[in-house]
Amino acid sequence: MKITLKKIASAFDLPVPTLERWIRQGRIPVQRSGDEVLFSRPALEKWAAAHNLSFHMEKTQPIPLLTAPPDTLSAAMAQGNVYSDVEGESVDKVLKAAVDRMTWLSPDVRDELFFRLMDRERLASTGIGGGIAIPHPRDPLSPPPEKAMVTTCFLVRPVAFGAIDDLPVNTLFLLISPTVKLHLHLLSRLSYCIRNAAFAEFLKTRPDAAALVAKVSAIEAQLDKA
Amino acid sequence: MTHFFKLLKSPGSWPLFRSDDRLLLIVLAVVVGTCSGTAALLLNQGLEFMIARLQPFREYGWAIVLPGIGAALAAFFLNQIVRENPGHGIPEVIDAVSQHGGQLRLRSSFSRLVSGCLTIGSGGSAGPEAPVVMSGAAIGSNIARFFSLNDRQRVALVGCGAAGAISAIFNAPIAGMVFTVEVILGEWTTLNVIPIAIAAVAGTELSRALHGNQIAFAHRAFDIHFHDILACVGLAVFCAVISIVLSRSLRATHHYADRIPLPIWVRAFVGGCMVGGIGYVLPDILGEGYPGIRLAIDGGFPTGLLLVTGIALIKILSTAITLGSGGSGGIFAPCLVVGAFTGLSFHRLIAAIWPGVPWVNEGCFALLGMAGLVSGVMQAPLTGMFLIVEVTGGYGVILPLIVVSTISTTICHYVEFASFYLRDLVEQGKLLRMGTDARVLADLSVEEVMETDCIRLNPHLRLVDLIDRVENSVCDYFPVEDPNTGEFLGMIDLNKIRPYLFEPTMHHAVLVGQLMDSPVETVSPDDDLANVLKKMDDYRLFTLPVVSDGCFQGFISKVTLLDRYRQELRAQTPIHA
Repeated sequence: MKITLKKIASAFDLPVPTLERWIRQGRIPVQRSGDEVLFSRPALEKWAAAHNLSFHMEKTQPIPLLTAPPDTLSAAMAQGNVYSDVEGESVDKVLKAAVDRMTWLSPDVRDELFFRLMDRERLASTGIGGGIAIPHPRDPLSPPPEKAMVTTCFLVRPVAFGAIDDLPVNTLFLLISPTVKLHLHLLSRLSYCIRNAAFAEFLKTRPDAAALVAKVSAIEAQLDKA
Repeated sequence: MTHFFKLLKSPGSWPLFRSDDRLLLIVLAVVVGTCSGTAALLLNQGLEFMIARLQPFREYGWAIVLPGIGAALAAFFLNQIVRENPGHGIPEVIDAVSQHGGQLRLRSSFSRLVSGCLTIGSGGSAGPEAPVVMSGAAIGSNIARFFSLNDRQRVALVGCGAAGAISAIFNAPIAGMVFTVEVILGEWTTLNVIPIAIAAVAGTELSRALHGNQIAFAHRAFDIHFHDILACVGLAVFCAVISIVLSRSLRATHHYADRIPLPIWVRAFVGGCMVGGIGYVLPDILGEGYPGIRLAIDGGFPTGLLLVTGIALIKILSTAITLGSGGSGGIFAPCLVVGAFTGLSFHRLIAAIWPGVPWVNEGCFALLGMAGLVSGVMQAPLTGMFLIVEVTGGYGVILPLIVVSTISTTICHYVEFASFYLRDLVEQGKLLRMGTDARVLADLSVEEVMETDCIRLNPHLRLVDLIDRVENSVCDYFPVEDPNTGEFLGMIDLNKIRPYLFEPTMHHAVLVGQLMDSPVETVSPDDDLANVLKKMDDYRLFTLPVVSDGCFQGFISKVTLLDRYRQELRAQTPIHA
């Protein structure tokens, strides 16, 4: 089998000039016949192991640090649904009412979720200003849900949420994710949307699920293009 | 036919050697050992011939010009005809091994033989060993080149050449091996030692076949007592002092002779005539001087403490003049001669101070003195021990030999930071032993550690555009280039512009050209990595741009450097199974 120098170099994670020098200096086990160089893969592997060098012919993916997760915000919003008539006059009441709408979760999970949401609210309010709050548990639920979901709730009456701008909150984005990484990703996308003035105006119209998801996917499409 | 020739020239691809090159090296070691042994015997024959021819003229007064003529011819030959560096060549071999993968010129395989033969045969005070080491090494190197071997294999064959030569000239295989490994290569790996041992066997066997199994300085058995071993400590100190005197006087004459504004062969002539003059009065110092050693070991040297001490000092002087003025030859033989007389002097000194003590025969001390001098001057204790054991056939003196060799080396190392052979190389930073920091840095080039996947910026970009690029990259440093000429203008270091990144009012007001660092310290692709690192340390930088002809080539950062440095060091670290 013919292997190029470049492939061998990348298997050692080396620049090609270094590999060429190693061949010239006789560091690496190869057979030379004139200008041609013959590699034997087992010999290379043995040599690499003896010298404690890494050698991977098949391209291994580096351990992902922060790759964009496949779930999009619009998908999570479709998953979580939209409710435009959530009742309640205090933080715990609206959160309880919102969690009760998530009927696809078992009652036990809903109880845990409510408890964790309140826990997070006691730490610091999730009201981010402009009448919007993003309640979420600090850590993924146990067991974590299979998919991330954002449940959008438009409140019947604005509620004092202790938000940073002291304005009462009329919109909740209840965010649940299977991993912290995905949580951060969705949160950053959500805040990007909310920063957008046109989107804020659009929220005031209390759109239904289909309209909201369509709007968000349009914004996300722009983001992905950039 | 051409195919056959091509196959012949690349034995690495023969089925027999394909699995492992060790067998190939062993086969070639036999060839190299035999060739370098032949070179050694040729020089020996040449010397005997010249000495025999010139002997009848020694009694005439004008014979003092003979060493002058010989040295002048040698210097003229080296300097004008083959155009090689003066000197005995061993530092050149070590330099080739440490820096150039053992590459030596083909002409080196005979040039020192001719010049050494002229210098020593005519009476110059020098040794034939260094010239044969040079020849043997060059033979090994060129055989490796013929068979297109790689650097590692070539270095092994250079060692084989040196070992074969020393083994053949002294009829001493272990000394040949040990000298090569200890002095020439400086590393003990099985990969090198095995072919070198084979070459030493080949060289010795050739010498025995043609010359017979002669022990150069055979002697009777010595009766060594404990007080003799104690006295050896004193002898070792004595030898160390003489070693340092010898090394320093060699360097001093070399230094002064270099300043005389005369052609080198004129200098060599004058120096040779001076030695000839000394030799007219004291013929023992002429040539390699082995007859004097035989006499000293037999205990038959004329009595008198001052006489032998004087001979030792005058031998040092005449060797320094011969080699310093431009004569060609080594210091191995002079070391042995000076050592033998140093041993005699010491014995006569202690015998005069403590006449009642039954000291061992003075020949034994002559032996020990030889080991002391070789160990001291070359800072190679094992070479000293094994050489003396083999050339005298006397394993019985091994205990005092070890004492003298080790103590003498230690003291010399304390005073002189490197041996006579290595001192110049160390001073010039040319001694790069495998697996050392200097070697790793010398092997890696700027090109190999450079990162080239950089985002190049236009100086007219606004900060907001820069932020856009930062968001989508993993870099911390960005080169700024002139969009028209491609000239490197400066670089952006994210750490330095961090305060502006979070200042939205500046995003549209500031240009990359204003934010960049300029001028910045740069390096060129040909720079030594050691200098690059020094620059990083001096300026406390972690990243330096590589610029060639005003154009940006890439970045060198300490982060990548660590990766590459470790890979290189791992590849150079011998495997310890």
